[in-house]
Parts: sequence; C-alpha cells; structure tokens
Amino acid sequence: MTKSTKALRSAIALAGVSALALTACTGPTGGGGGSTASGNASSVIAYGTTDKVTALDPAGSYDNGSFMVMNQIYSFLLNSKPGGAEPVPDLAESASFTTPTEFTVKLKSDLKWANGHVLDSKDVKFSFDRQVKIADPNGPASLLTNIESIAAPDASTVVFTLKKANDQTFAQILTSPAGPIVDDEVFPADKLLSDEEIVKANAFHGQYVIDSFNKNTLVSLKAWPDYNGALGKPANAGATIKYYTDQTNMKLEVKGGQIDVANRSLSATDIDDLKKDSNVKVHVGPGGEMRYIVFNFDTMPFGAKTPEADPKKALAVRQATANLIDRQAISEQVYKGTYLPMWSNVPSGFAGANVSFKEAYGDGSGKPSLDKAKKVMADAGITSPVNIKLQYNPDHYGKSSGDEYAMVKDQLEKSGLFTVDLQSTEWVTYNSASKKDSYPVFQLGWFPDFSDADNYLTPFFVGGGFMNNHYSNAEVETLIAKQLVTGDKSEREKAIQEVQDLLAKDISTLPLLQGAQVAVSGTNVKGVDSTLDASFKFRLGTVSK
Amino acid sequence: MATLIDAPPPTVAAPKSKSAGGGLGRYILIRFLLIFPTIFILVTLVFFLMRITGDPITAAQGGRLPQEQIDALVHQAGYDRNLFIQYIEYLGNIATGNFGRTISDGRPVVEMLIKFGAATLELSINAVVVALLVGIPLGMFAAHKRDKVSDAFLRMFAILCYATPVFFAGLLLKLTFSVGLGWFPVAGRASTTTELAMGRLAAPTGIYWLDALRSGDLSAFGDIVHHAVLPAVALGLLTAGVFLRLVRTNVIGTLGKDYVEAGRSRGVSEYRLVTKHAYKPALIPIITVMGLQIALLLGGAVLTETTFEWKGLGYQLAQYLTARDFVAVQGIVMLLAVIVAVTNFVVDIAAALIDPRVRY
Repeated sequence: MTKSTKALRSAIALAGVSALALTACTGPTGGGGGSTASGNASSVIAYGTTDKVTALDPAGSYDNGSFMVMNQIYSFLLNSKPGGAEPVPDLAESASFTTPTEFTVKLKSDLKWANGHVLDSKDVKFSFDRQVKIADPNGPASLLTNIESIAAPDASTVVFTLKKANDQTFAQILTSPAGPIVDDEVFPADKLLSDEEIVKANAFHGQYVIDSFNKNTLVSLKAWPDYNGALGKPANAGATIKYYTDQTNMKLEVKGGQIDVANRSLSATDIDDLKKDSNVKVHVGPGGEMRYIVFNFDTMPFGAKTPEADPKKALAVRQATANLIDRQAISEQVYKGTYLPMWSNVPSGFAGANVSFKEAYGDGSGKPSLDKAKKVMADAGITSPVNIKLQYNPDHYGKSSGDEYAMVKDQLEKSGLFTVDLQSTEWVTYNSASKKDSYPVFQLGWFPDFSDADNYLTPFFVGGGFMNNHYSNAEVETLIAKQLVTGDKSEREKAIQEVQDLLAKDISTLPLLQGAQVAVSGTNVKGVDSTLDASFKFRLGTVSK
Repeated sequence: MATLIDAPPPTVAAPKSKSAGGGLGRYILIRFLLIFPTIFILVTLVFFLMRITGDPITAAQGGRLPQEQIDALVHQAGYDRNLFIQYIEYLGNIATGNFGRTISDGRPVVEMLIKFGAATLELSINAVVVALLVGIPLGMFAAHKRDKVSDAFLRMFAILCYATPVFFAGLLLKLTFSVGLGWFPVAGRASTTTELAMGRLAAPTGIYWLDALRSGDLSAFGDIVHHAVLPAVALGLLTAGVFLRLVRTNVIGTLGKDYVEAGRSRGVSEYRLVTKHAYKPALIPIITVMGLQIALLLGGAVLTETTFEWKGLGYQLAQYLTARDFVAVQGIVMLLAVIVAVTNFVVDIAAALIDPRVRY
C-alpha cells in the first residue's frame, strides 16, 4: 500500500469516524425511559397514543384524541368515576329532572378556574350555548339537539329545558364530548379559541392543567391541587402525552420503557406479540366499538329497487347470512381476541343488551349453521347461489378490515349458497357512496358518543337513520322512543330488549364484533385497569408507578 | 497555452459585450419569471385534485351523521359552492397573504408551515451532511481505485443507495440499529425531556440542534444528534449514492487531464493529485446536482418523517391529506413548490455564473 493510498483511506476513515463520534459522544440522554419534565421519574406518567387532537376547545372537536385530553383538564357537570359509566356529580352537587322537561343542576360552592376566575352557573350556560351557536363541523353540537334553552337563575343553579320530556340519555350527554365546561371570561361566545390561547389563559378545571403543549407531538400535564370533583386527586404528579403516527413505534417504545402506557391503537398482531413479552402488561377492558354489516334494503339481492324485488327472498338472504357468519373465528383469527363476537345491536355490558342474534341464528350457541341457512333459502324459493356485492373500507376501520371481510366472503361462499364480489373503496368516497345506494351490502363501524344503549339505536333506526339503508319499522321506532323517556330502569331495559329482538328478525344491520379497550403498560405501572371501563374515558389520574 | 484547436471561432470568441451581459441578465430574468407559473400550476392542480377527492367534513364526520346533516355542514362551510368561485377566492387570499387556518385542527397555516418547516429543514440539513460525508470521500476513493474490486463494490453500493426506497431503508435501519442492537432511539426528534426543554425556549428557531447549541445545553444537543442519526442516514443515503457516482466520474475525468498528468510527471503524490488537483474541479457539478436533489429530499422526507415520527412538513402533509384538509395541503404544497423552484433558480444562476456556456 502506498503512502498516498494510506492517506486517502485515512481521510475517508476520518470522515466516517467523525460522523460516528458525533453521535457516540452524545450517548443516550435518557431517551425517554420514563424521564420526565420534573426529573421525578417515579411520579410522572408517560402516555402514548396514535390518536390526534383536533382542538382543545370543546366546541371544535368530537374525536377520541381531543376528548382524552379534555377529560384531564376540564370538568363536567356530571362525570363517571373510574370503574364505571354511571353519571355522578362532578362540578354539580346534585342533578335531576325537576319537571319532565326541566333538568336542574346545583353546582358546588366556591368553584374556581386554575387561572383564578370564578366558576359558576354563567360558565355552564355559556359553555352549552356557545356549543350550539358555533355548531362547528368538527364539534359535538349535534348531541345537544334536545336542549330548548338554558337558564342560570342564580350563581349555583342551572336549568336545562328540554324539547323532549324525560330524556333518559341527557345525564350521559352531560358526560360526553359536548359536556366540558369552559371559562366564560376566556372563551369567545361565537367562535373557537385556539389551543395556544387556551393554554396561555390557563383556563382549566380538572385533575390537571397543561404545563406545555406541542400539538400532536407532546403534551405535558401537571396535577392541579384544587380539583375536588368526581375523579378525586390524581395518583401521580403529572403526565406526558406523546403522539405517534406509527403504531409500531409506539409498541417499540412501550416495550423499551420510553413510555409507561400505550393506548389506542395497537394492532391485534402487536397486542398478541406484546402479550408474550414479560416486560409489559396488556390490559383489556369493556369496549363500545361495534363492527357490523349493513344491508341496503333497496339494492341488496331481491331488494325493493332491484328487477327481482322480493321482500321475502331479501329477508331470507339476510337470515342465511346471519346463519353462516362465524364471529368467533373472525375474532380469534383476525383480531386475536381484541374484538369479541357481538350478538345484538346493543353491545354486551350496556343496560338492556341481550343476545338476540345468537339465539335466533346459527346453532343457538354462537356457531354457524349451514342447515339453517339452506332451509331459510329453500323456504323462500331461492335455489341457485345468490351473488352478493360486498364492500368494505380499508383505511377507516383499521388495516385488518381486509382480512375480516376476506373471512366473511370465505364463510359465505363455502356454504354454496352465495358468491361474493368483495370490493374496497377509500374512505371519503366509500362513506359518500354507501349513503347513496351504491353498495348493496357494506361494512360500517361505530364508536359511541356516550355510554347508553340508546346511542346504538336512535342514530341507526329512527327516521331512516344515518346509514340511509331504507330500513323502516314503525314498531321499532315506537319502542326506541319509549325507552328514551322511560325513567323506570327495568321497564326501559325491557323496551330495549324488545327493540333488539325485532332488529334481529329484520336484520337491517348484522352486528359482527364488539371491540375491547386494550392498553399496554410497563409491569411497574398501576391503575390502568380501573380506568378501562364502560365510560371509555382514559383517566390519567388513576395511573401510577 | 491555447492551441489552434482550442481557439474558438471568431464569431463566438468575440461576442458583443452588450449581448453577452444582456444574455446573462435575460437568462436570470427568464429563470426568475418561470418560478411563478411553476408554483401557479402546482397550486392549481392541488386545489382541484383535493376537491375532486372529497371534503374534510365527510372525512371527519362521515361515519356518524346522516347524509343530510353532512350536506348541511358542507354547505355551511361553503365547500359545495362553484369550484371556480372557490378557486378565485383562494387565489385572492394567497395574493393578500391570507393562507387561513387548517380545517382539521384549526392552526394558522403560516404558523404551521414555520413550525413543521423547521423540522423538515433540520432533517434535510442532516441528510445533506450525511450525503456529503458519505458520497464525496467514497467517490474519491472509488475514482482512485478505478476498475478495482473496491470500486466495483462502491458503485454497487451507490446504486443500492439511490435505488432503495427510502421508507425501506428507514425501516431496515430502525430494525437493525434501534430494535436489534438498541444503539439508537426508535423514533422522534428528541427524548421527552429534551422536547419539553425545546418547547420552553424563548424565540426558538425550531431547528433543535441549533436551539440546543444556542441555549448551551450540550446534553440536549447530544440527545438530538442521537435521535437524528437514523433518519438522516436513511434520507442522506438516497443522495449519497448520486454524489458518490458523480464525484467518481468527475474525479476520473479530471485525473486524465493534462495538468494532472503534468503534476504526476513532476512527482506530485497520488493522494495530493486526487485531493488537491482533481477533487476541486470535480465538485462543481455537485452544486448543480444538490439543487436538483432538493425535490428528491423533500419527497423522501415525507416517508422518512413518517417512519421515524419526525414531526415535519412531510409527516403533516400525510396527516392532512388523510383528513382532506384543503387549506393545509395547499399551504404545504405551495411552500414545497416555492422551495424547489427557488432552489432550482439559485442553482441555475450559480451554474450560469460558473459556466458561461449555460446561458447560450
């Protein structure tokens, strides 16, 4: 080797070594690893999610990511304690119907905002009035349609006058994304307030205040000592919320201890993988998410507007489908148990839920029944295989939708009763086309606005429902209206069960799976299970390590 | 000494000085004016394509509300108005510097561009540094070892660098050096501690390593560099391959020139010939190529940022596209178009100044 060659090699090596040295000399500076803003790693919880914040202003967002943060920094008139979904007083001292159309709330005394402003009935009235007035397209104003007017007769009293009497969902709506109370001295009445201005004004009243806000990147929360609502004092001094785009990165960081809790959303495969990892714990709680198939009563095989229209045959097609679907297989093979079979239009766990589809279809124990499917089709006079055009969406309901619907196709075709043309369409087009009769049979999903069975009934089956699938049943609508205003719990549950039985007969939609809430934490983390309840609210205040 | 063959024909050798100066001025003017139609065409295309593929309200609320309510919200937001009217309105807003607020998360567009643009700029700078550190020395070495095994190996390496999709390279690097060996963080621009510290700085530039240096926080600087390595390598290798081949070709070309031969015959060492005499002229085309690589880098940044949770413009663009956020996407695309067009303009001018033949 010549001297010059050696020198050249040295130059190149030096460049490479310099690059390495630049990084090597830095070393990992905690890399997260539970490191925190205050330096007290034992009391600050690092939470990770793939959800996104749309806005901190409650009038401008109606999504899981925004609501998760709101649950930490705002109070509600009513809220649910960890472990349940029953509305209990939060800012309120008491709340009840004082007349059939008046819901009266008495506030606790001496309430203040974190910025020192007084929190009274004016704030409450202001909060709901502005929601309705702004009616932002991204906001939850649609949940408040039953409010006729709001009065604040004195500093501690709020009276909601409702359009429909005895609305049994109203208390739940006060705990929903429409329910956070905001500071009337900070928020404008007729437009949204930016996140930065909310943070700057310290307009919070919750278990936490926001210490630092880098939207959809990193949020730092600090426990607020003056909160005395339903959630109690937090079990930690603060928390950070880290936002991920890629669920795999979140999985790797919870495995590596860079975050303490990973929640919403890890894929079924990732969760299955994490279950085998001794460094983390997988927590499973009840879930309200529903995955289902919709039949368009006009365009499905033998539908009202098809050339071969025949309601009896159309019903037979739906019933045969219900007899053939093996929910358990989809749950286990596609979702590794992170979604469970759903046997009714109201998910199990909700008051009034039953298993009407399990009893009416298949072998009665949850398994499919080819014999029953064949009989239903033969009784209706259908002799040759029926072609079903089945649509699903690959980008809105999770990446596993493709596998899920491939299994549905397989299960239907194996019977010899159906041939299935499976097609997928990107979400924006899909959503629009599905409501314009383009898809005879199609996939949809639902995440509840609040924890009540009615949220799985009224939006779907009253006045044509949001699906626009041309299903209508007066008896169903009457029963739904009845349960909505029945104060007696057992009477209400009976009505809800009757609705489900009727829906199982008609099969406007075929419920497939119900999601579970799944969070993953380090083994040293406590309190995750107690917040994975039917309220679907993740409360950071329960978590400690 | 100029030979007879080297001497240019009289008509070319003696152009009128006025026309020569006018040529450069005209060239610069034309190149400058071309920036505007380039941006205009791109912005127009994005405006119409985004609207053809849906609206933000349907994307956000489609699964929950009846079609009538969605239609009412779309109407309220004005997205169902005549497209041409919306377009004129949009151009008017741009002309007055009003870029609006993003629809899906309510941020002022300009603020969003500044914040995330800084992150993308940081990633791009890091990637260029990697490209230069890898491409130039290896290119020189390959030229020096022309047609030997090491040269063949480096040529293959160069092809691999620019032929490998950047997301695949990123994933491979992550799996190897983060998940497998645990040498580098999996994702992000910095650890939580550093991110919070950066967020608390007064008047930050948004370029984390620069902010850390300005604040004198060496621990944060180290953490930031540690996080930056894999994304910078993933994106930088894309350009490093191009640089490597370019430097190799040019160094080989200059190594055969008479003046290099003359130096060699006078006993100048091979190392000195490569690093002093052949190297500098070979670098001139790199300037041009670097300009052209900007578009490639920005395209690669979209994928790199998503792979490594690097919250920059590329990452945001992907998010806003999913949400059909017209305003945000238009803002980002316009900024990217401006960057690419202006960079190319600067490169064209630099090339014209370096090599007068360009403008003819």
